[in-house]
Amino acid sequence: MPQLHDVDYTLEYPYTRTTGPVIGPFLTGLRDGRILGQRCGDRVLCPPMEFDPDTFATLEPDLVEVGPGGVVVNWTWVAEPSAKHPFDRPFGFAFIKLDGADTDLVHAVDTGGDPEAMNTGMRVRAQFRDERHGSVADVYFVPEGDAADQVIQPGEEPVTITEHLIGLRINEPLYPHRARFAQGLLDGKIIGQRSPVTGKVYVPGRGYDNMSRVLMSEADEVEVSDVGTVVAFTELNPVQYYGQTETEPYVRCSILFDGTDQPVIGIDIRDMTVDEMRVGMRMRCIWRDPDERSVEDIDNRYGNIPETVYARFEPTGEPDIPADELKEHSW
Amino acid sequence: MVSLAEDVAIVAFEQTPSHAHFNDSEPAMIMPCVNSVIEQVGMDRHEIDFTIAGSCDYLSGMPFAFVMNIDAVGAWPPVYESHVEMDGAWALFEGFVRLQSGDIDTVLVSGSGKCSPGSYREGFSLQTDPYVHAPIGLDPRTQAGFQAQALIAAGKATERDFAEVVARSHANAKNNPYAQLSGDLSVEELLAEPYVQQPLRRLDCPPTSDGAAAMIIARADKARELCDNPVWIRAIDHRIDSHHPTLRDLTDSPSVRIAADRVGLHDGPVDIAELTVTYSPEEIILRDALGLNGETTVNPSGGPLTGSPFMAVGLTRVIELARAIRNGNGGRGVAHASSGPALQQNLLCVLEGDS
Repeated sequence: MPQLHDVDYTLEYPYTRTTGPVIGPFLTGLRDGRILGQRCGDRVLCPPMEFDPDTFATLEPDLVEVGPGGVVVNWTWVAEPSAKHPFDRPFGFAFIKLDGADTDLVHAVDTGGDPEAMNTGMRVRAQFRDERHGSVADVYFVPEGDAADQVIQPGEEPVTITEHLIGLRINEPLYPHRARFAQGLLDGKIIGQRSPVTGKVYVPGRGYDNMSRVLMSEADEVEVSDVGTVVAFTELNPVQYYGQTETEPYVRCSILFDGTDQPVIGIDIRDMTVDEMRVGMRMRCIWRDPDERSVEDIDNRYGNIPETVYARFEPTGEPDIPADELKEHSW
Repeated sequence: MVSLAEDVAIVAFEQTPSHAHFNDSEPAMIMPCVNSVIEQVGMDRHEIDFTIAGSCDYLSGMPFAFVMNIDAVGAWPPVYESHVEMDGAWALFEGFVRLQSGDIDTVLVSGSGKCSPGSYREGFSLQTDPYVHAPIGLDPRTQAGFQAQALIAAGKATERDFAEVVARSHANAKNNPYAQLSGDLSVEELLAEPYVQQPLRRLDCPPTSDGAAAMIIARADKARELCDNPVWIRAIDHRIDSHHPTLRDLTDSPSVRIAADRVGLHDGPVDIAELTVTYSPEEIILRDALGLNGETTVNPSGGPLTGSPFMAVGLTRVIELARAIRNGNGGRGVAHASSGPALQQNLLCVLEGDS
């Protein structure tokens, strides 16, 4: 079997958060090149908080500028930065007690990659990034002697929303049964798994029968027909959410292939309108030419029979199966 | 110590080995554990009254991944089911509390996680404050680094102490067939390794692990009916410290001290402690906060430094303790689970053998 691709994707969510009466001015300040702390009795909290961390009493917003200099009171050296860290070269994370503040801010210190430059008690100073968005990542710190004077142009509107695009990288091989299913599609075959307990055939197999709670292996695999019956369909009108690539309406259907007990869902139909679709309609897979098939979109969870392996699904012209006979499979 | 409405016992447990990479789905990893515990008690799946799982969608990199995991615990005929986005130890907590209402007899608890496909440092940085910490990727290993540095600065521990925890954990794991790492390491060779997160070295940190665990707990009468050697959950409690590490004394764990008091830890002998020591300095803090002395064997399994499938690792501590008690290695002990960075949240569970 030729080597199939690894699953490799980044799941992203764009988080948008309101900032509130204390964090809002703090982030506005960072965008404008200033660090603000919140008064709490005779103390100043930085990072600022909406409540007294000792009594949990609500604090009226009362912000005061702190820093830009401060002292490192705890630190650790990041020898292998992650993709989400502020620097792509080794750096220090530190607890920084800013001048005028009584609590510590956790932030990154760039020493040019030199861990020897980090120590408890060292003086550091804030540096602001050229591009600032009203985020805690607008600022970072350097040893005081390395700090440059900066002229920061303040923004106009206060920061009331902060955005954070999170991303989770996933990288692993196709599971063995997924690899065999994907290879089957490249070969123009639909591979299912037959439960050794119930005899039901699932397409694609998940590597187990979830009704009987039994694992399944290559020995349980069967090639199934590429002719089947439409058991459900809908028209998708693409909403333009983050990451959406579709723009025009199209039909998505589920097909119960002959000899199987579970429909394959998510089969997309581009050359028929929703008005031409019927539950019970018999359809045949017209495969792409072998050298035009790709299974790159198949991962370990999603991707059943993707459009990259078939040219179209074509009505066979056989009489429809009565819908009543399909009700156990209408998904 | 809180008095209980219902006595509850562990009647069956199972765990997978800690895998460096399990090359199949999370349900396929959990399913053999679930089947094993059901077989141990000789029940039909549908006879179990309540089912609860702990897992993390951020680890799986898939929204609603936990729903797929229900495949593994068996959802047909329909079951009464719940989920916590936490370690399985917190699923155990919910199951234990559920049994206190006295109207049901049995709970199936599971915990599972696959760390190998993703980056736990990136994913778990999202547990932190979303305004001031998560946007700079403040990850759990960094917070463990702060905790280690704080211990050193306070004179409470040295890097050699950390290395001794690592060496003992790896040596203990030689007897644990589920461990991912084990062996004889000298403190000197450990101290010769480079830092990955100064002052932490690679083996001060957990391996990347995939794994699952499952357990059945039952009310007293049912427990005696289902097995000959129930292990009693005498008390369980969990407490949390601030999510701002700079507002904590990182060299101590007030939440562990409160939980230890609530579970009456020292109302009896503590023969064994199975602790979620994800980073080696945590053992020093936990021993102190739990008030353990030389009479307690700590992490005879090797603990998370030798295999750390997040979301199963805490529940696995309870299992390792239950197994040790069943095997007669002790009469009473404590299992500890942790959530959040640098021991931010802590659960304690006191187990005792049948007597």
